[in-house]
Amino acid sequence: MGRNYLLGKYSKHSKTLTLFIIMISVFIVISIFLPGKFLTIRNFQSMFSQIPEFGLLAIAVMLAMLTGGIDLSIVATANLAGIVAALILTKFTFPQIGGYEELLTIILAIISALTVSLICGFLNGILVAYIGVPAILATLGTMGLFSGIAIIITKGYGIIGFPEKFLFIGSGTILLIPVPMIIFILCALVAVLILNKTIFGFSVYMLGSNPISARFSGISNENLLIKTYMMSGFFAGLASIIMISRVNSIREGYGSVYLLQAILVCVLGGVDPSGGSGSISGLIMGIITLQVLQSGFNILSFSPFFKKVIWGLILILVMVINFYSAKLSQKSIKRLKTN
Amino acid sequence: MVKNNRILRIQKLLKQNELYLFLVIIVYSVFITSLNSSFLSLENLFDLGKSSAGMGIMAIGVFTVLLSGGIDISFTAIAISGQYIAANVLIASGVDNIFFAFFISCLVGVALGAINGLLISQFKISTLITTLGTASVFHGALLTIVGTKAINSAQLPDCFKAFGAKDVLILTKSNGVNYGLSIFIIIFIVLALLTWLILKYTMLGRGIYAIGGDINAAERSGFNVAKIQFFIYCYVGFLAGIAGVLHISLIRYSNPTYIVGTELSVIAAVVLGGTRITGGSGTIIGTIMGVAMVTILNNSLILVGLSSYWHNFFVGLIIILSVSITSYQSKRSIGNIVFRR
Repeated sequence: MGRNYLLGKYSKHSKTLTLFIIMISVFIVISIFLPGKFLTIRNFQSMFSQIPEFGLLAIAVMLAMLTGGIDLSIVATANLAGIVAALILTKFTFPQIGGYEELLTIILAIISALTVSLICGFLNGILVAYIGVPAILATLGTMGLFSGIAIIITKGYGIIGFPEKFLFIGSGTILLIPVPMIIFILCALVAVLILNKTIFGFSVYMLGSNPISARFSGISNENLLIKTYMMSGFFAGLASIIMISRVNSIREGYGSVYLLQAILVCVLGGVDPSGGSGSISGLIMGIITLQVLQSGFNILSFSPFFKKVIWGLILILVMVINFYSAKLSQKSIKRLKTN
Repeated sequence: MVKNNRILRIQKLLKQNELYLFLVIIVYSVFITSLNSSFLSLENLFDLGKSSAGMGIMAIGVFTVLLSGGIDISFTAIAISGQYIAANVLIASGVDNIFFAFFISCLVGVALGAINGLLISQFKISTLITTLGTASVFHGALLTIVGTKAINSAQLPDCFKAFGAKDVLILTKSNGVNYGLSIFIIIFIVLALLTWLILKYTMLGRGIYAIGGDINAAERSGFNVAKIQFFIYCYVGFLAGIAGVLHISLIRYSNPTYIVGTELSVIAAVVLGGTRITGGSGTIIGTIMGVAMVTILNNSLILVGLSSYWHNFFVGLIIILSVSITSYQSKRSIGNIVFRR
């Protein structure tokens, strides 16, 4: 009993350790191969401004994955939320109004974006929890629905030009640290606290590893799923605010690459797609690894198509490695048990 | 006794999704015809059939995958790869033969499908994540290695144009204009029949249903799960290859960024046809009707007075509604003890 417990603990740490080693080695390899280009302050600043967007989306996917589902609608949710915020920002702000009203508009825009994303998450949650639609199809459908609504609202055109103060969220700095990074770190901390220190977090892991036993231990699976998908939506909404204020525009279909990358980061960071295991610390190491690679590819000016190939290959490679490592650890557990 | 039997039969019929879908199609078609009388003409139906045959063939592939409890979202990337590579090979080699084009396209399709099949059957990777990854790899590789240049109508080998214009049955309207039943529709029907035969009368087909029902039970009852899964994804690739050639022959143009992005419509059509993603349940007739419904809906949006901007919205709505109905039914019938994700 005690031995098995220790073994579980050991294997959990070894996973984090492996991730850490991969992250550091990717970092070192890129630094060596791109001398004087990778290790510059400017490059780090640009990396720091890109991490928060898809980092938040990755947390959103991770939450759904922990329950054994997946959320394919995150980018569409973020787009819809971003478009609603953009409409409020461009329709209600006029140059003549004072700073106070401008601030109110910005707050209103942010609140509406987050509300929209919460509603999107709620819809996903209802479909998955109460109607019993498999998460893949439910979120695939809502992905089409949300992006459809976004197209209908914007007629496919982009919305550009937000108030100066709003742009601070995406491109400002506090004490030399980019604001998006601060938001991301805060969100990651909140997510860690929720997942590790609350009953809700514990229940999410439990639901993911075995929904039936979760139900019999008194958890309302339906409630929990709805809350989880709403949280997922919320993080997507936050990502959208950062996204639109960084690039000062929004268009339907914006950031569609992030979906693959967010799932990739989750898998890379050790989140089990079948649910029940995964940690924010692993996820963050996955994010950093991906971002380091991404910035290396940018310096080498790889074409976006070639990057697509590489992201896909890495995703599959990680899954293959996971398959073999799971097989190995199963074998070692068996050996220990027979000893 | 006989009466009882008949009642049972009617009850069974009423439980089937296909019946309701069929009624919806009829009602909707009548509604559209009341707006535009040319909608229900044979000519228009032939046209719709021709333009949706490619989608229908891809839908048959998706249907087979969903039946086995998996999902494939890389089939559009496979279709465009097959099409674009075949067109390029034909131009480069100077061989102007449609069978050669089909051969190349299907070869590419089966090869790419085999990669999916290998990953899924050997490494037990989730089908969604595998095909999400391979879709990105296939399409990225096509654009990186083969190129990004579109092939326009002038460069396109003549065999595609001839094939696209080929009719098996030519009818004449009262005003003397000819219209015909395209060979595309025949190909679609043949492939649908072939799939139906495989599913119904071969061990392989029963295996696909079995895997979808319960993969562990299928394994224990002696099905070679890995082999069957490998076949399924190769078959999807093969069908995607054919769909790719039909697509290029239809629009007489090839752009390596086409087709990719239509996954959602095809999946929508299949789930609308009553196929459950949890596997083990669904019919090819349902799939065909799903394709018909999505096609009619797409083609009638403008007639109803909605701009094409509404397309994504409706596709999403169709998926959600139809999946909700089938999921809710099965949830109710199984009861609440077994929790479904």
